[in-house]
Amino acid sequence: MENKHLVKDIVHALDIDGGSTERRPVHTVGVGATGFFKPSPMAQRFCVAEHFLPKAAKKGVRVDIRFSNGMGVVEEHDGWSDVRGMAVRFYLENGQSTDLVAMTLPVFFAPTPETFLDFALNARPKPCQRATPWQKIKSYLQLQLPLPDPYPGQTERPNEGAIAFASKHVWAQPAVIDASSIGAPVSYVRATYHAVHTFIVTGKDGQRRWVRFSWAPIAGVLNTDPKKPPEDRYLKKDLEKRLSHGRTERFSLMMQIGETGDDFNDSTRQWPPHRTRVMMGTLTLNKVREDQQEYFEKLSFNPWHLTDGIDPSDDPVLRIRKDVYAFSSNRRQGTPCPFSGTKG
Amino acid sequence: MSDDSGWLNSYINSLPERGWFQFLSKYVVVPFWVWREGRPKLPGGPRPSPQPSDNTQRMMNLLMPLKDTSPIGRAKAVMALAQNVDEIFAGLDNVGTVHSARFLLVEDYICMISVYDGDFSNYIRDFISTIGSVFDALMHEVEGGDKLYPSEENVEAFIDWVREHDLFQAPDYPFDLFGLQDEQAGRKPNDPPHDLQTLPRSLILQLHANRNISLGGGYRGYPGYSAAQIRRNLGVGW
Amino acid sequence: MAVFDAEKVQGNILRGYPLDRVRHMILEVSDRRRAREFLAAAADGRGEDVPRITRSANWSERPEVCFNIGITFEGLRTLGLPSDELKTFPTEYTEGMTRRALKLGDFGESAPEHWPAPFDRPDRIHIVASAYANANHHLDDIEKKVAKVFTVLGTRDGRNLPDGKVFFGYRDGISQPRLRHVFDPEHAGDHQIKDPLGTVLLGYQTQLEGIKFTIPTPEDVFRDSAFNAFRVLQQDTGAFETYLTDAAHFLESHRDVARLLPEGAEQNIGGGMSRHDALREVVAAQMCGRWRNGTPYEASPNSDVQDGISLTNYDYSLSSRCPAGSHMRRANPRGGPIVQRVANYTRRMVRRGMSYGPDPETGEHGLLGNFIGANYGAQFEAVMCDWINFGLQDPGITGTNDPLLGANVPETSRFDLTLKGGGHIRLSGFPRFVKTRGGAYTLLPSLPAIRYLSQLTA
Repeated sequence: MENKHLVKDIVHALDIDGGSTERRPVHTVGVGATGFFKPSPMAQRFCVAEHFLPKAAKKGVRVDIRFSNGMGVVEEHDGWSDVRGMAVRFYLENGQSTDLVAMTLPVFFAPTPETFLDFALNARPKPCQRATPWQKIKSYLQLQLPLPDPYPGQTERPNEGAIAFASKHVWAQPAVIDASSIGAPVSYVRATYHAVHTFIVTGKDGQRRWVRFSWAPIAGVLNTDPKKPPEDRYLKKDLEKRLSHGRTERFSLMMQIGETGDDFNDSTRQWPPHRTRVMMGTLTLNKVREDQQEYFEKLSFNPWHLTDGIDPSDDPVLRIRKDVYAFSSNRRQGTPCPFSGTKG
Repeated sequence: MSDDSGWLNSYINSLPERGWFQFLSKYVVVPFWVWREGRPKLPGGPRPSPQPSDNTQRMMNLLMPLKDTSPIGRAKAVMALAQNVDEIFAGLDNVGTVHSARFLLVEDYICMISVYDGDFSNYIRDFISTIGSVFDALMHEVEGGDKLYPSEENVEAFIDWVREHDLFQAPDYPFDLFGLQDEQAGRKPNDPPHDLQTLPRSLILQLHANRNISLGGGYRGYPGYSAAQIRRNLGVGW
Repeated sequence: MAVFDAEKVQGNILRGYPLDRVRHMILEVSDRRRAREFLAAAADGRGEDVPRITRSANWSERPEVCFNIGITFEGLRTLGLPSDELKTFPTEYTEGMTRRALKLGDFGESAPEHWPAPFDRPDRIHIVASAYANANHHLDDIEKKVAKVFTVLGTRDGRNLPDGKVFFGYRDGISQPRLRHVFDPEHAGDHQIKDPLGTVLLGYQTQLEGIKFTIPTPEDVFRDSAFNAFRVLQQDTGAFETYLTDAAHFLESHRDVARLLPEGAEQNIGGGMSRHDALREVVAAQMCGRWRNGTPYEASPNSDVQDGISLTNYDYSLSSRCPAGSHMRRANPRGGPIVQRVANYTRRMVRRGMSYGPDPETGEHGLLGNFIGANYGAQFEAVMCDWINFGLQDPGITGTNDPLLGANVPETSRFDLTLKGGGHIRLSGFPRFVKTRGGAYTLLPSLPAIRYLSQLTA
């Protein structure tokens, strides 16, 4: 493991009040589902990984998916504005598998592990209070927007710390701007999830391309009304309902292709929406498993868990996530992912 | 604190919707900030970039003010175009880089909305060289158009004029507005970084300087391909 | 339209000089009055204290020394040109090369932020004075005379390499626009279409039907001037040769290699060489558009033997073996099929260049180039941003950059080698081989313009 201290510091920076070392330090609350993935006919032109080959198109590749709320607390507040996660494990032949870890925030908060640690420490939740009427009027007179009122029962939040930090560190601004207005989706299947980091895919002709993946919901994106009071627990019920009676929900796997002038090792900048995008395949969810605690809490996804045909870029944050995830998985005694270095 | 201030809080939260507050903003608050830190007008059209997807399917949103805004004047503008439609389309064909171009008559403007590949000034210059005379007929109905007559002998001025009247394209991501405003004012972008809370104000002040804008580069169904690539791949020749 | 008078036009625009060394002096006008006196003497003096501006006129005997000047927009302003006249200059020129960087592909390592002195302070660059000779002492003499009046911010020395080559090993400068009304013995065998004078000089018909470029005010003063893009282009020959070797290894075992270079054809390349070396040369030839000895690849795809092959008289078609993405074809597509159908022959430029370096300390070497035309937007910039980079003229190359000159990064660069019978082999992973290390947009003023500037009184 590279730089053990940095890894430990990052995980500890993410541990906040209300969290638990027996659970994930972030994306603590979540729900898992199962399904299958079928690649599109041109997927192998861009990537020869097993789940993109024509053979996979016939039967589909089995997948496990875990949706989650980004906040590192065990209490469930589905309706609070929060980043959501979607981690997918594709089960390939011969016991192999590969993960694609994505979230609703299209960029990362910092370009390097060291700067991320800096950010995480400064953005730890602090006690928060509703702004007074005079403070709000002052904001409006300055043509600014006051921070949103804390939710009923919310005594701490990261917003103030994150915004103050980003106002001094340019690279954090895109992520903080997006995160502060991200809202709450009406369903886990009505949000777009981004894998954020750049990966290198090798196509059928041997051509290597630097790409970014996203899951686009076929049901479309929809958030709850921020003016209405938030509901605390609805996402799991919603998913169960949607996948009951044989119904399914789907996502498209979209892949954007990198171009000259991109910094492939920097995940704090989003690529413009008018990039060439390739439709790589469709993910179908069909069941919410009963054994959530036993199965999904133990499952350890890792963004570095790849397969032939997909390579990581030199993004230093992607590299340290490999170790951060392994550390956290060990700590909560999850089923070891291939990198954890311990036996199950 | 208990919620006995609930009604006051809701009222304050709703201030931006209140008529009297909007009136105050329009006539006092915004003009104050325009005076204090007004933003320079940002240039129109897409910004130069080395990236292929920024150089294909670029948007032109050209708003040309009519000289004579009466129904007769508007009819004259329509006729100037309608009588030359064949020439215009043939010219666009030979320029080779245009995905689509259409003319709109909206309020007091005649607008050209077009999607094209590559450098904007090459597009206009090649276009003038094939159908300059048609342009002149149209420009005769446009305010300020006579200064550019004939377009073939005022190519540079014509290109500058088109750039002036092409709408500013807001960046795809709001964060980039700070950097654009810095550059336009001659400062190094984001040096020092801007306070995030000032983003709404920056947007409002920019909209004061650029009254009409295009919201980014628009949605593309098949982004990243030039007109000739699409024609070639569809097998209809380029 | 005025009658063309060669006495009014500076030299080295319509025809090249037969001299092998150059010194470009980058100057700041520190004393406006003395600068104007210098200009007057340069225009009409006898060359004793102030070097005399060389004209375009026919020479009765070869000159030993030639001297010319280019003035930037900041230079015109500093010399005192009134603001209502300054306003009539084209936008590209007034902004200057540094502000046009993104359009020209000068980003990353080529960005103006990384340019060495004196190009890091573009506002101080007022005049680029160029002295040509065969012997260095002439250049030193001229520099001394110039330094008495101007602040010399820096100099760049260039020379012609033997056999007309550039550091990349190619023979350069073979094809230039042949201008109507100008007799140029050096290009007599070139049967390319002749270009109108307006291709290079202000005030004349251009190749674009009906279009004449605006002459800055006063018009009869600035007529016969030209616009120049002066560029210091570092050439990474080491990386280039390394890439050719890597490409040859990749190609040797490729299933289609016989259609790229027939078996045995290596006997007719470079006088006979190994197949591996021949494959390197084929890649170099397809990337440039000419074999290293100047033989056009289009005319002779399997051999660089020049016997009987014209260096200049050929054209491109849809079935050309010369790739659409090759450097020469991007810079000058001739009459070949291009997307911008109206634009054939309309973006040609006169190129005058000499090699510089290698620097004894850093080893840096490359080309000092002058790219001369009547309008940046219509010529130099148009070629750089849509053809050299981006490849808009052919759908097969759109989205890729010139393999030699383009703004490439290894992750996204691509070049398709053509094969006999159709199809291609794709090369990728090459870095940027040419980096910009300085430059300026300068007006090459006509003699009347030089006199006019010398008589300003502001």
